Amino acid sequence: MKRFLTTQAYLPYVGPISLWIVLFVISPLGVILYFSFLKVGPVGQIVPTFTLENYLTLFKGAYGIILLRSLLFAFGTNMICLLIGYPLAYWIVRYGGKLKITLLFLVIMPSWTCYLIRLYALKTLAGYTGLINSTLLNLGLISSPLEMLYNPTAVIIGLVYSWLPFMVLPIYASLDGLDPSLLEAAVDLGATPLRRFFTVTLPLTKGGIFAGTILVFIPSLGEWLVPLLLGGAKVMMVGNLVEHHFIKLGNIPMGSSIAAALTAIVLLIMYLSIKVGGEEALERII
Amino acid sequence: MKSWNKTGKILPAVATLVYLFMWAPVFILVLFSFSNNKFGIKWEGFTLKWYAELFNNVAVRNALKMSLTVAIITVVVATIAGTLTAYGLYKYKFRGKRALRTTILLPIVMPYVVTGAALLAFFTRIVHVPLGYPSILIAHISFSVPLAVFVVLGRMARIDWTLEEASADLGADRLTTWRKITVPLLLPAIIASAALIFPWSFDDFTITYFVAGVGSTTLPIYVFSQLRYGATPVINTIGTIFVTLPIIGLLLVSLLQKKEVT
Repeated sequence: MKRFLTTQAYLPYVGPISLWIVLFVISPLGVILYFSFLKVGPVGQIVPTFTLENYLTLFKGAYGIILLRSLLFAFGTNMICLLIGYPLAYWIVRYGGKLKITLLFLVIMPSWTCYLIRLYALKTLAGYTGLINSTLLNLGLISSPLEMLYNPTAVIIGLVYSWLPFMVLPIYASLDGLDPSLLEAAVDLGATPLRRFFTVTLPLTKGGIFAGTILVFIPSLGEWLVPLLLGGAKVMMVGNLVEHHFIKLGNIPMGSSIAAALTAIVLLIMYLSIKVGGEEALERII
Repeated sequence: MKSWNKTGKILPAVATLVYLFMWAPVFILVLFSFSNNKFGIKWEGFTLKWYAELFNNVAVRNALKMSLTVAIITVVVATIAGTLTAYGLYKYKFRGKRALRTTILLPIVMPYVVTGAALLAFFTRIVHVPLGYPSILIAHISFSVPLAVFVVLGRMARIDWTLEEASADLGADRLTTWRKITVPLLLPAIIASAALIFPWSFDDFTITYFVAGVGSTTLPIYVFSQLRYGATPVINTIGTIFVTLPIIGLLLVSLLQKKEVT
């Protein structure tokens, strides 16, 4: 064993990846932080003059509303995913029996198919000429097609549809790893099932809950495709602003300030989730 | 006990609704890819003509070729890099190990728009990596390595490392030990991570959309460019490919894990 453990022996294994991360993960984030304090020139060039204007634009007026809406939608999506995902994971672990893994797979599998395609499928289904409207029309329940898209509810449903599997998976892992003797002890000590759930099961699975929160809140907050496809121009989120400035306008400093603010919020959420949820929250992410 | 009976009924109802919600749109998409309806939105009898149309479409074929090329290169590079990284993380203690474990996760935890935008700014304004294959591959490898690292790490915790020591004690050098012992022991995890990374890379839309530049069209980007024309049967057929591919990948992974247990 000794001969493998010479002082620098780890370098060939973790050296390349560390270099890669510094170069292609940390540096790009550093670069947008730097650009976010600069000005844009008339033809999209970056003028190296310090300014806080980008951030001022972001936090007030129309952009401020979009930022607030994004936080609200992400929080709402996270709570809905938790309220649906926890009972589902609980049901699979407790009543799944031999089918446990299959049932879990059926939850995860959609998240491994292209999410653009899934959103397209959802949009087509709920669209003006989609299956839901045509079925309701044929049944005579409505006289003209319903407009189900392009409103906040459609966006939140789309967000839940996209990210729910990522809430179920860590909670499932947490529940499945629960020591049954602890639950038996609670019963032996006279706890009612409801009380047992709230004093034993729930606190012991908080690592899974916060891992799920990291995996749902963060991507929902940065989502741009869901609001683009299901919300239209009326229900934009910060992700759409990032895309608009980077791709459509080529205003990299403004886009960078939005992306940098988003990164700061994300890091704060990660920090809080790990602080409250413990190390397990980090380990259950994958 | 009463509350138990109640939850005993509510839970299956919740579960059924969730499964329906998650699968109905996908199921209908697959179904309508075989429908005669030329808008792909209702059932009008079975046909395979949209698939014939799909394979005769040059733009689709080129996009598919690009997606496959990117996914295959990403799988090979990310799996090898991830395996080596996992080995280093598992076997050695070193300064910054915790920091490395956490920052490795960043590309998959960060919102896709942030990763995409940051790489775009970095590539076009700082290091001048050409947009297209080079930029797409760098992006895909970045968000795929973490998967391989953690899948392989999971396996490492469960294998018998004394074999590696025995090999070294019997005089095998480091490379021989890797070839004859370490890699075969890790093989199920290596194949599993490859099977997971392939759809992960093949499906990616947002990050690719940011760093692809003009004229590089992967299959998801092709689909996105067609969306403005509304629903079409050809998108349904492409969607069917996207749905079946990861299912095959995941089934492969589960088979490997079953084998591992027995």
